[in-house]
Amino acid sequence: MLGRDEVPRRLTLRENDDLHIVFVARPGYSGNVDFEIDIVRPGANLEIAGLYLSNNGDKVNFNVCVRHLVGGSHSRQIFKGIVGDRAAVSFDGLIYVAQDAEKTEAYQENHSILLSDGKVDTRPQLEIYADDVKCSHGATVGSLDEDALFYMRSRGIPFEEARKMQMISFVSDILDRLPESYRNDVISRI
Amino acid sequence: MSNILQIRNLHAAVEGKEILRGIDLDIAEGQVHALMGPNGAGKSTLGAVLTGRPGYEVTEGSILFKGQDLLAMTPEERSWAGLFLSFQYPIEIPGVSINNFMKAAVNAKRKAAGQSELSPADYLKLLKSKTALVQMKGEFIKRDVNVGFSGGEKKRNEIFQMAMLDPDLSILDETDSGLDVDALKIVADGVNALRSPSKSSIVITHYKRLLDLIVPDVVHVLKAGRIVRTGGRELVEQIENQGYDSIND
Amino acid sequence: MPQSEDIIRSATQQEYKEGFVTEIDQEFVPKGLNEDIIRLISAKKAEPQWLLDFRLKAFARWKEMTPPEWGHLSRLPEIDFQDIIYYAAPRRDEDRPKEIDPALQETFDKLGIPISEREVLAGVKSKVAVDAVFDSVSVSTTFREELSKLGIIFCSFSEAVREHPELVRKYLATVVPAGDNFYAALNSAVFSDGSFCYIPKGVKCPMDLSSYFRINASGTGQFERTLIIADEGSSLSYMEGCTAPMRDENQLHAAVVEIIVEKDADVRYSTVQNWYPGDAQGRGGILNLVTKRGICRDGAHLSWTQVETGSAITWKYPSTILQGDYSSSEFYSVALTNNYQQADTGTKMIHIGKGTRSRIVSKGISAGFSENSYRGLVQVLPGADGARNYSQCDSLLIGNRCGAHTFPVIRNANPNSVVEHEATTSKISEDQLFYCNQRGLAPEEAVGLIVNGYAKEVLSRLPMEFAVEAQKLLSVNLEGSIG
Repeated sequence: MLGRDEVPRRLTLRENDDLHIVFVARPGYSGNVDFEIDIVRPGANLEIAGLYLSNNGDKVNFNVCVRHLVGGSHSRQIFKGIVGDRAAVSFDGLIYVAQDAEKTEAYQENHSILLSDGKVDTRPQLEIYADDVKCSHGATVGSLDEDALFYMRSRGIPFEEARKMQMISFVSDILDRLPESYRNDVISRI
Repeated sequence: MSNILQIRNLHAAVEGKEILRGIDLDIAEGQVHALMGPNGAGKSTLGAVLTGRPGYEVTEGSILFKGQDLLAMTPEERSWAGLFLSFQYPIEIPGVSINNFMKAAVNAKRKAAGQSELSPADYLKLLKSKTALVQMKGEFIKRDVNVGFSGGEKKRNEIFQMAMLDPDLSILDETDSGLDVDALKIVADGVNALRSPSKSSIVITHYKRLLDLIVPDVVHVLKAGRIVRTGGRELVEQIENQGYDSIND
Repeated sequence: MPQSEDIIRSATQQEYKEGFVTEIDQEFVPKGLNEDIIRLISAKKAEPQWLLDFRLKAFARWKEMTPPEWGHLSRLPEIDFQDIIYYAAPRRDEDRPKEIDPALQETFDKLGIPISEREVLAGVKSKVAVDAVFDSVSVSTTFREELSKLGIIFCSFSEAVREHPELVRKYLATVVPAGDNFYAALNSAVFSDGSFCYIPKGVKCPMDLSSYFRINASGTGQFERTLIIADEGSSLSYMEGCTAPMRDENQLHAAVVEIIVEKDADVRYSTVQNWYPGDAQGRGGILNLVTKRGICRDGAHLSWTQVETGSAITWKYPSTILQGDYSSSEFYSVALTNNYQQADTGTKMIHIGKGTRSRIVSKGISAGFSENSYRGLVQVLPGADGARNYSQCDSLLIGNRCGAHTFPVIRNANPNSVVEHEATTSKISEDQLFYCNQRGLAPEEAVGLIVNGYAKEVLSRLPMEFAVEAQKLLSVNLEGSIG
């Protein structure tokens, strides 16, 4: 499923469903992006990825809720983006693991690069009521990596190109989930 | 024989703390200089200052590289001018293949020199000859820059990049650290293959074993931000046998 | 391989050894809360008018406020604030006003708290100055004279009001304003005693200072107020401990701690919180609803270390306002909940100054039917160039009837800063348990050992004697009733 298509925002995953969603918020997109997904049978696998390239006053709010109501299922949320120029992005993500939903594996990541005059709020949340689980989340909000930037420049890659290359590098794992034609279109907007 | 590098009274600080405290150093074309010294002496700082790493502040002194004021140049301009640093801790860049990384770097240098981009065929030819130099397989260039590399692979990747960019002065910052004997030999062979009467190097190391393979013309000992002794290979022997404490100004 | 549930079931119920009651003649103010009660408390302490005004203003604010409901604390009962006695103090022997009542001496002896200097000098314990608070009053503060030679002021809050009113007035409520939150407002209206500490410019405090809080009387609440000021270039290590009797009723502890860390000063604040946690069925226990906050000026450093093992309910977020350039702060926390305990704890790091740094390490351990949440905020304001935060929050679940939650918030508006947060949730490793069992450790012992290892990064930051105490507490509080 692609960000271009209409994305159903409320879903229920039954056994052995394998659902992959990639949502791309391109420059100029503002809005609320909500996903509410219940996993009700073991064996389901869910992956929600998001990419945001927000500038020029864009406002994007992600609200992602994944509920593991039974054990033995997997989910992964990965949201990454670059935010600058008066844009504001917020990410509210929840992993909920119900009591007795043992052997759940759930991961959540939200990483943002802030450029000048951007703003990011992130709230990755874990709410866990079963013990035999593997759950983790990670979030970062920061500047471009100075060391990587210097490494590229020391190899003769000019500053602006190095910056762009680094931004592409930063979101590359989300880009990899896109079909090639669409991927190049997205890269051209970075 | 003219000097490719001329450092005068160089002082530099990191986060307000002075690390380099008056370095004078001349390197002639074709020479290999070894830079030795205890941890914290300022060896890596000198490499960082020469290549313009952010966070390293030059507080006094001057550096001429091929007659140009190096300190007035950006890191990429220094690279185009022919300066290369083999990083002690090479940086990982996920999602960027070595191939794309080097293509961008080689063409940026050509563009700065007023040359056109390399044709795909010429680029491929260059790539093949240089990967062979460090005994890397063809698959290697498809991998992301340094991501998931072993210590030895990272250092071979540095020497590969050095070969691709064909610098006039290369600084090898502890390129031998963490390498086993075989990897060390591959790296040293790569460096030696690039030696020529017009190319110079600074080899930063703690160990004689690298300097047995890359034989230096001049050896400097750096202590507390100053070069306290300059000599020939006999200094390497002295340090190996008696340690840095045996050398004072 | 034994399942952890079996191990846990097989373990026995552990007594809360600090759960005794001291029989002592005490005076109380009447039950309930109104302006008259506040005037009465203020009069008992012979307070100046400005402080009474401060209390009354806070009370007016509080009446307009409602309790916060965002904590993950389903068992926090609705508190009847009219059903609490706001002031209780051991009656003084009129003939010997300077002496410590033998019953109090015995109480603190039993708790292992040295409230006379002789014990410390004679014993093997390292030198620590103690301010011991019993219900609503401070009963003893040791080493005051020795400290005063260096210009250090260490006394009860009430005494500070009398003897150093200019300092109290200058700093009180500057970090936690009276209307900051519902419980801080309540505290500002009715606070009784707590510790006051001032370290002058450039002075390194030669010994650890500590406060020990003891709730004794039934039907009361404790409203401690602590104010710590570390002047320019000074340094201080401060410790805080607390216990209470075992009772079927809930008792309220609503404290406010304010710390001012002036330019280049360094404060380490350590807490071992061991309030009565309630029984295995979730009856009774302290409701620990606390506001602690510090402010750092240029180059200052504030380090929070907390070990939270007690209380039925913990609602606590020791926080730092990194106002000064290049100031830094840490929050290291171990929170353990067992039976029906619920803890919602964490920190706020507010980066205002340039080059500010903060680090958060939180280790949550949930057992039994308990709920344990980390809640945190890391905020980077637009001017905080070069700010850096790293947070690591781990949760460990023991048994499958408890909950472990992580609710961090990151707000970043500065492109030259880096904020990183990582969290994991997992169960206690059966491989580790088995390995310990195989080497002859009993299950409870093994759990204690593993949990202590898990918490080591935090425990190692405590002053030595405190660390030993905290290790014991972690093991003891895990014994029994888990699962």
